[in-house]
Amino acid sequence: MLLLLPLAITWFGAVALAPFDGRRRAVGVVAVGVMVAAFVALVRLGITVWTSGPVEMVAGDWPAGIGIRLRADGLGIAFALISLGVLLAALAYEVLGGVHERSLPSLVLFMSTGLTGVFLTADIFNFYVFFEIAMTASFVLATYGKQVGHLRAALTFMVVNLLGSVVFLAGVASLYHVTGTLDMDGVAERVNGAPTASVLLIAVLIFVAFGLKLGLFPFHSWVPLVYRDTWPAVAAMLSAALANIGSYGLLRFGAGLMPRELSLTASGLIVIGSLGILYGAIQAVSPRTAGEVIAWSSIGQVGYILVALGIGGPVGLTAAVLYSIINSLNKLVLFLAVGLRGWLVGTAFALAAFSVAGVPPSAGFFGKVAIFRAGADADRVPLLVLVVVGGALSLIYLFRIYQRDYWARNHAAPPSPLGARVLVLVLACGIVFIGLWPEPLLALSANAAAALTGGGS
Amino acid sequence: MSMSTILTRTITRLIFLPTLVTAVAVLVKGYAGAGDGFSAGVIAGTGVVIQFLAFGPRELVARYPSLRRAPLLAWSGLLLGLVTAFAPVIWGDPIMTLYPRPGEDVPHLGLLAFHTAVLFDAAVFLLVFGFIVSVLGTIGNRYGSEGADS
Amino acid sequence: MILALALVISVLFGCGAFLLLKRDLIRMAGGIILISNAANLFIVSAGLSRGREPIYPLPAGERISDPVVQALVLTAIVIGFGTVAVLLGMIYRTYTARLAKAVDEGDETGRTPMSMPPEDRVAD
Repeated sequence: MLLLLPLAITWFGAVALAPFDGRRRAVGVVAVGVMVAAFVALVRLGITVWTSGPVEMVAGDWPAGIGIRLRADGLGIAFALISLGVLLAALAYEVLGGVHERSLPSLVLFMSTGLTGVFLTADIFNFYVFFEIAMTASFVLATYGKQVGHLRAALTFMVVNLLGSVVFLAGVASLYHVTGTLDMDGVAERVNGAPTASVLLIAVLIFVAFGLKLGLFPFHSWVPLVYRDTWPAVAAMLSAALANIGSYGLLRFGAGLMPRELSLTASGLIVIGSLGILYGAIQAVSPRTAGEVIAWSSIGQVGYILVALGIGGPVGLTAAVLYSIINSLNKLVLFLAVGLRGWLVGTAFALAAFSVAGVPPSAGFFGKVAIFRAGADADRVPLLVLVVVGGALSLIYLFRIYQRDYWARNHAAPPSPLGARVLVLVLACGIVFIGLWPEPLLALSANAAAALTGGGS
Repeated sequence: MSMSTILTRTITRLIFLPTLVTAVAVLVKGYAGAGDGFSAGVIAGTGVVIQFLAFGPRELVARYPSLRRAPLLAWSGLLLGLVTAFAPVIWGDPIMTLYPRPGEDVPHLGLLAFHTAVLFDAAVFLLVFGFIVSVLGTIGNRYGSEGADS
Repeated sequence: MILALALVISVLFGCGAFLLLKRDLIRMAGGIILISNAANLFIVSAGLSRGREPIYPLPAGERISDPVVQALVLTAIVIGFGTVAVLLGMIYRTYTARLAKAVDEGDETGRTPMSMPPEDRVAD
């Protein structure tokens, strides 16, 4: 029952709010309330998971392995908390600033449903179904704003994602054919008995699918287009929440279901990740609009997650989870701050920029430290150099934006609503707070990584 | 707008009710044979689309004014489906548990089985049918009226 | 049987990919539909087996075909249906927005509004 509560709250909330006009203040406030309730339910579920182990339920009262199994373990809860938190913050930001379209609150709730379902399921096809629910909601969200430029970018986003869905479906069907079951535990057990070449091919298919859908290097070309043209709140939702599906999917399917293939392709992953970091950083340094710079920065940051995944082992996986969570927070604050004007916003942007670069005492420092440690444990010196260089480059490109947009302020533009600015500043202070007291987050990530390898709670 | 001949209009008018009956039949027999809510919804939706093509939006809505309510139909279908899925959680069973449970007797009325699976399929039918007709209403209206403006 | 399915899937995928790269948005949508149908056929091929239909009461001592694959394909078809509906809606919205823009800017070149100008092509 507790397992289903966040899902039920967001789903029924989405359906209940669909007929109403989202532009009205009351509807927006109710939507934010529903998301707060779902977040609280998720925290309650998380506490149960951390104290007494994973919570499971098999749909339809069928035996496990036949019915669809829903499971909340450390990894799923960690990602669900950060994704729902990001969506909540972005929705609150938009409601405070004034909603432009009638379907926004309901769409965000549908996306939360999809995301919660993705992180709380232990069945590979159910993963695909909830993934598609979240993506369909995000397609419609990407058109928020109605200008022709938005629509073209949203179409590109949609078509690339549909291709990714097709490839993912092919991978899931092949995985079923090779193992004979759809349950994640069953697949993890039986995959070792399958021919290595087939499973390697399936792993590559799934990696390509996630790469297409989330803009990993080298499938990243559509990302700057989409992020350039959308509104800041939607860009924050897409980048910070949806990208988490990619990290979670790679962790779950790679390290959880097919660890042998992950270790086989580890060097490839590290190379792709490093290239992504460098390419994203170099592109971000060239002169561009603020939205594009942050988009290229996202492409680069995901490279760090790939590198951590490639290194593997408990240290590498913990670093991957930690970096995903911190990256989501950073991107949220960056995108939201870029859309605002007025004093205090520059401070928030600067704090988030320090976090992306990995400067103490921000949360990003611990993310970089975790990756540094993983690289040092695996004795890969080029990686350490890469981490430092990447951090330095991110300082450069983010402070170029700061200098252009905040330092040389033009006082002609009117300041944005105070509520939105206060929200963004609070989030930025949260980043610093985590930087000063990182233990809970570190424990959370370690727990999540342990859940992957079968230990922990 | 309607460019259809008298032959098209007559046949289309005659075929509407059998299409809907076929759709409901596919829905009901899905419990024990091939058929389910989705295909039933698509068949019924296609029936309305054929009427739309032959008659145009204005005449269609004049003839069957309840088609305006299609978004409400879709919404209630979605709500019914969600309630059918989540209701067992309230009394402790897992999500999507269907009653009567396997092995128990299912009361029948001819081919219609009183089973919550049929209720769920009906919800999907309402959702798909309502969705198709709503899309017709939104997009079709622009094309139906002369001198479509944006 | 597998060979025939593989040939059909590849032909469908090829035609879909060809259409996907066209300039006209409706042709692009047609390409997406073909590709998603190729994926659905792929799922069917993952569970190919000869047998009776998997509906109770089961005939004793006979092979039964795999029901999981049929459920997977049905779900995939429904999801594809919904996604294509959203795609077509978005194309329609691009069309009306571009029509409004063309009316504003007095575009008289005779190019149909449905096709995208070269700088707006999806493959960029």
